[in-house]
Amino acid sequence: MAGFLTRRLLQSLLTLLGVLTATFFLVRLAGDPTTLLLPVEATPDEIATFRTALGLDRPLPVQYVKFLTHALEGDFGISLRQRTPALELVLERLPATFELALTSFILGLALAFAVGVSVRLSGSARLRTFVMWIALARQAIPVFWFGLLLILLFSVTLRWLPSLGRGGITHLILPAITLSTYEVALYLRLFNSSLATEAKQDYVRTAFAKGQSRSQVLIKHMLPNALLPLVTIAGINLGLLLGGTVVTETVFSWPGVGRLIVQSVSQRDYPVIIAGVFVVCLIFMMINLIIDLLYAYLDPRVRLA
Amino acid sequence: MIHRMTFTTWLAIAMLTAVFLLITIVPWLSGYAPYKQDLASGLLLPFERLENGQLSVFGTDSLGRDILSRMALAGRVSLFIGLSAVAVSMVVGVVLGLLAGYFRGWTETVIMGFADLQLSIPRVLLLIAVTAMLGSTVVNLMILLGLTSWVAYGRVARAMSLSLREREFVLSAITQGATPAWNIRKHLLPNVLPQMVIVGSFELGQIIVLEAALSYLGLGIQPPLPSWGLMISEGQSYLEINPWLSVLPGLALFMLVAGVQFLTQSLTAEGEDERSLTVRTV
Repeated sequence: MAGFLTRRLLQSLLTLLGVLTATFFLVRLAGDPTTLLLPVEATPDEIATFRTALGLDRPLPVQYVKFLTHALEGDFGISLRQRTPALELVLERLPATFELALTSFILGLALAFAVGVSVRLSGSARLRTFVMWIALARQAIPVFWFGLLLILLFSVTLRWLPSLGRGGITHLILPAITLSTYEVALYLRLFNSSLATEAKQDYVRTAFAKGQSRSQVLIKHMLPNALLPLVTIAGINLGLLLGGTVVTETVFSWPGVGRLIVQSVSQRDYPVIIAGVFVVCLIFMMINLIIDLLYAYLDPRVRLA
Repeated sequence: MIHRMTFTTWLAIAMLTAVFLLITIVPWLSGYAPYKQDLASGLLLPFERLENGQLSVFGTDSLGRDILSRMALAGRVSLFIGLSAVAVSMVVGVVLGLLAGYFRGWTETVIMGFADLQLSIPRVLLLIAVTAMLGSTVVNLMILLGLTSWVAYGRVARAMSLSLREREFVLSAITQGATPAWNIRKHLLPNVLPQMVIVGSFELGQIIVLEAALSYLGLGIQPPLPSWGLMISEGQSYLEINPWLSVLPGLALFMLVAGVQFLTQSLTAEGEDERSLTVRTV
């Protein structure tokens, strides 16, 4: 286990280095940082001081090392618009993103589990086909359009729920529905397929032969096996949700990290973009790491391989 | 089961035909004017008449531009970018995947390490960062969407070539002095291509949604060129007055994406393809 842990940690560190390196060169590829980082009306004098201050007059490898050490200290520079450290701005927005992502994640998983199990218990192939068909259709609807349709129905037409911003629980409902219905569709289809695979196994036939009822076989024998793939995908998805609420946050003007990044792009606020991308990647990686460790703990084949 | 699959297939074909007709027939119609502004006839609802008495089938946007015409042009742009990006990612993915699987060793380590690196950043975020830095022209979008999507092909191509290269027909070619390039081209490539086309058809829908999402965020296709995502976003400000501005382009986007998805789903055997279950649009 110790070997696996070290290897996996090393891999994460390498990835982090890769992300930072890619960011560094992307910014350089985009052009001279002075034109990007300074307002258009800057005088040549200001540009010169700025270059020295940023160390842009130094050789590229020196700049690269400096960028890395600063980034690892959490220093991504000062936001060009807000005049506060970029990382601080990003961290301020994290709770909002967490709130939305976690709510949608839990709601999605719980609903998928409830619907998946009850559809199986009903034993109706027609009902199962119908539910899976709806899930497939939901997966094909782009989140931003789905969110907009929800706003149209519940905010504009019925006037039941607010469409913008973050506040009480009422603000959370529409964005959470937008994201979690997508999650439900995804998990439901996955759950259904893994239950279908388990249903063909010998142990299921044996259980039925012993005279156990459908619900006993399903809950006692099939569920524990069918849940394992669901856990993996759910874990990866939690990471994706935390980074991927960008679009939903924009639709509902939800003040999270994703929206901050999009706003910073249109304001050309590069330090904030870099800090935002870095923080999201870091969270995404940490979640992946935790899942891998959890998985290695649950399934010895993984850590011994 | 058979009955359902045929129904899904028919539905998919119907949706794709509708989109196909939209982007092919509409530009031939007499009222086709995706850029023509007419401020006197702005924000018309579907089937209202313009100032000059002409019927506007899908209505007009805030600048009085014809929605139907813009949707048709936007569809062409979306499909063009989507197909080109799939082509780019397929070529990159197949080449890297085959190289990794055939040569193993450090080639494989580097290529697959790069794939892992790319997967450690959510694709939307990666695209936002990259388009923010490099700008989003149509050509840029094609290339960037393509370059950020090669991993799906690369992994499958690598996995397949790992087993293919141990097969007799490849080994015997090696013993007779075949170069790696020849072997990869003649023996590996034809064997992985059918699978790559399947991956590509799953990816097409996702790429089109990604492009629409980027355009919705204002980071994709830039005005005045129309895009479904951009139209949805422009329409969002007028939801109270004319919801069709956002609903109609979204419907076209849904029909294209769902059509492609449903068709691939019913053509590749149900349950066989786990990939289809875990695909993630934005």
